[in-house]
Amino acid sequence: MASIARYIRSARPSGLAALAQSSVSRRVIARPFSVTATNAIRKYTKEHEWIDVAADKKTGVIGISDYAAKALGDVVFVELPELGKKFAAGDAIGAVESVKSAADINAPISCTISHVNLTLEEKPNAINQVPEDDSHGGGWICKVTVSEQGIKDLDNLMTLEAYDEFTATEGEEEH
Amino acid sequence: MSLIAQCKPRALRASRPVQVYRSTSSDPYVNLSIEHFLLQRTHAAATVLFQYVNRPCVVVGRNQNPWLEANLQQVRRGLGPDEPVPVDLVRRRSGGGAVFHDAGNVNWAVVCPAAAFDRDRHAEMVVRALQALSPGTGTPRVNARHDIVLDTPGSGGGSFKISGSAYKLTRLRALHHGTCLLASPHLGAISALLRSPAAPFVKARGVESVRSPVRNAGADPGAFMAAVVAKFRHMYGDAGDEVMVGADALDAVPEIRAGVAELMSPEWIYDQTPQFTLSSHPTDDDPRPRPALPPNLPPNLRIHLTVRHGEIQTAAVSGLRYVALSRADESAAHDAALSTSLAGQRLHDIRDWHAVLERAAPVSAADRLHVGGWLNGMFGLETSA
Repeated sequence: MASIARYIRSARPSGLAALAQSSVSRRVIARPFSVTATNAIRKYTKEHEWIDVAADKKTGVIGISDYAAKALGDVVFVELPELGKKFAAGDAIGAVESVKSAADINAPISCTISHVNLTLEEKPNAINQVPEDDSHGGGWICKVTVSEQGIKDLDNLMTLEAYDEFTATEGEEEH
Repeated sequence: MSLIAQCKPRALRASRPVQVYRSTSSDPYVNLSIEHFLLQRTHAAATVLFQYVNRPCVVVGRNQNPWLEANLQQVRRGLGPDEPVPVDLVRRRSGGGAVFHDAGNVNWAVVCPAAAFDRDRHAEMVVRALQALSPGTGTPRVNARHDIVLDTPGSGGGSFKISGSAYKLTRLRALHHGTCLLASPHLGAISALLRSPAAPFVKARGVESVRSPVRNAGADPGAFMAAVVAKFRHMYGDAGDEVMVGADALDAVPEIRAGVAELMSPEWIYDQTPQFTLSSHPTDDDPRPRPALPPNLPPNLRIHLTVRHGEIQTAAVSGLRYVALSRADESAAHDAALSTSLAGQRLHDIRDWHAVLERAAPVSAADRLHVGGWLNGMFGLETSA
């Protein structure tokens, strides 16, 4: 995600929005996600994408973090990744539009797109409602097959705890 | 005007922390491609200002529908009435709604690190530039939609939009670009260019524009650009000379050339359109009452098209009258054949619906004329006399 936490700053001039944002960065948010495989590993990028990698490390699910979804504001369109396409870590795989901004979604790791969440075409705001839900009706973006390089790329990503700490620091910088 | 360095396209790759460019081109595809290059290729820590003035064009947002946002027939006819002035149709890479550009409108763009992104900061900078120019037409301010409006006093006063914002965010970089209407001679034509006859019949995914009354800020474009540069330097410090760039960047930078080719391609302008439907009558999905169809259309006519990636995905047409029917149920078969033949056609490739109807089925001459004409009108095509 295109460093969308930066949206927080833009929301600052409005006092109410700033209040809402500060509660976001303090995250006491219940995470209503389910996982597709037992013992899936969930990791986060600094650009606020998440990826669930199945225990066998062959497949994964990608989405946008809860923190980022709050910061984005109303998502009005999601440009889904192209099926079958291969991406390296950091490549733009798709984009979301909210509040006049087209923000790239980036591949957290090297991968190939195997499924896209067509629900988002009709209900882009599922990203606002359940961004970290990788089940049917959730706000997940795509499913991928993971390459050898992709498994190595996982080491560069953050655990939930590290990500929470990262976003909390970002929040402190903002306020 | 400030000192201008010789145009050296390689200057576009400069790594100095603060950079200022101005375009000598009025080609919207070239200017948007130079801007995109600055977004993608300037140093990740650099802050860059780029200003340009385009020839007349309608610019839709990345996720918009040109058939819905523009009157394509009007766009193709250009601005009149005496000397026809051509109008380009452009899809930009940033989000947001449809706008009109011409020589009286300055486009300003700031590329900065994603970490410094703020939706209002550079609109505020432009407000300060306008205040410095004090054209006396009103008080500029940034509104809740991150646009710049001019508050004007007195009767006939109110808030008028003079500048619209849009953004593009990549992993490391953020682009905020905006228009600024200063002295457009075509204000009266904007509404007609941005009003589609298909609007009551089309339901589109993606982004719909928000209409606002507009006005010229009443400043000279050259003076405005100089004032923006001054405020930009005030914010970010020494930016060196303002570098002029233009069409020669195409020869020097293959990426810019490729960007222009992409922006000018029908795949980008039309096929990038999010899915939409056109229905002659209310549907479950789009229950709005429709305007009365022209009386010369067949009374039982129903048309429903689903267009995805610019291609007609499904079509259901019925109620046309056919010639040389030998059996009563033959009409339905022709309807079905016609509908089937439409599926798979690229909407942008259809230049005349009369010909499409004629090829697909033995539609009666009157219905071919009037239904073909209606569909041409919906999709902004001329019906030749």
